[in-house]
Amino acid sequence: MSRKPYQPSMPADWWLKHPAYRFYMLREATVLPLLFFIGSLLYGLYCLSQGEASWLVWLSWLQQPWVMALNGLALVASLFHAFTFFRLFPQVMPLRVGSRTLPAGWMIAGQWFGVLLVFLALWWLLGAYHVIN
Amino acid sequence: MKQPETKPSDMQHLSVAIQRYRPEQDDTPVWQSYQVPYDDSTSVLDALHWIKEHQDSSLTYRWSCRMAICGSCGVMVDGTPKLGCKTFLRDYPQGLKVAALANFPIEKDLVVDMSRFLQHLTTIKPYLIGEPSLVQAGSASAGSDQPSSAALQPQLQSPEQVKRYQQFANCINCGLCYSACPQFGLNPEFLGPAAIALAHRYNLDSRDQGKAERQPALNSKDGVWSCTFVGFCSTVCPKGVDPAAAINQGKIVSTMDGVIQWFSPKQLDATPQEPTS
Repeated sequence: MSRKPYQPSMPADWWLKHPAYRFYMLREATVLPLLFFIGSLLYGLYCLSQGEASWLVWLSWLQQPWVMALNGLALVASLFHAFTFFRLFPQVMPLRVGSRTLPAGWMIAGQWFGVLLVFLALWWLLGAYHVIN
Repeated sequence: MKQPETKPSDMQHLSVAIQRYRPEQDDTPVWQSYQVPYDDSTSVLDALHWIKEHQDSSLTYRWSCRMAICGSCGVMVDGTPKLGCKTFLRDYPQGLKVAALANFPIEKDLVVDMSRFLQHLTTIKPYLIGEPSLVQAGSASAGSDQPSSAALQPQLQSPEQVKRYQQFANCINCGLCYSACPQFGLNPEFLGPAAIALAHRYNLDSRDQGKAERQPALNSKDGVWSCTFVGFCSTVCPKGVDPAAAINQGKIVSTMDGVIQWFSPKQLDATPQEPTS
């Protein structure tokens, strides 16, 4: 008897078909608001090179509600991406101390501690520390 | 004392929709619904047996052990790859849809052609490749009454050495991870989760010397680098193998291998040069 296997194909919207794929695509889509954030930074650098007037134009551009909303979204997106990345990290690089593997929870907590340190350093750099004291 | 048996007519019934593909009459798969009696212990595999015995003897599916060891009864249940024997009707009070494993050609009903997966499995040489001198000693002594002392040396492993690869050795080749992997669905040449997890398992084994033979396939574009860490393979694995971890640890191994090759002196051409006069 001859065979007639049915060859399934992946539809273009395969990533909408399962919650696990939607979560994956959401994780990957965090790059979109980050692109906007990087564009804003590059625009700022360009304005800085053009002199004070141009710099002030960039500062007022930044304060527009839609720019603030998109940059706020970029912050949320990067924190969400960090959340997913930190969870995957112990799978990719399990740290071995002697014959034992460091518990994943410790590695995740350590990474968030690193984020906290970066936030505190930025806060200090931006002068908030001095304002409070 | 023997429990009185409940008659199927007294049991609750659940709607089980099954994707049918009968190559002699269908061009594409079609859905067919069955009312199946069930209780708390009825698995999807039990439901398939009941349908085959009582409603439609032409229903075709694979199964063997009924206890999540043989890996034969993989199916899609409501779009998620599952072992039929390890999935229970009680968890789907609204009914369920059972289809053939995704990303594989369907032969008939719930039976898929897994030969692509098996080819990938062969590619990565999923067996111990021993230390050459011991292998030679072993084959030299084959057929003689007195095996050489080298061949008789036990290959000892400490519990720590076993622990390094044990998780990845639990694979039962059920193929659920291939059905969960969109990269395999888009590119069937991708070696895929189970094959790469097994390659990693043998590369981590202290008794194995075959890494150099496996690495070219793993380093290739259809090797570890085709994985984008969707991670669904690890979610659906019925044995907790975590193939996504194996593949992404494999990326580090592949990178190290590349760096070592980059800095290694090039192999000299073994062919002697013709003397120029």
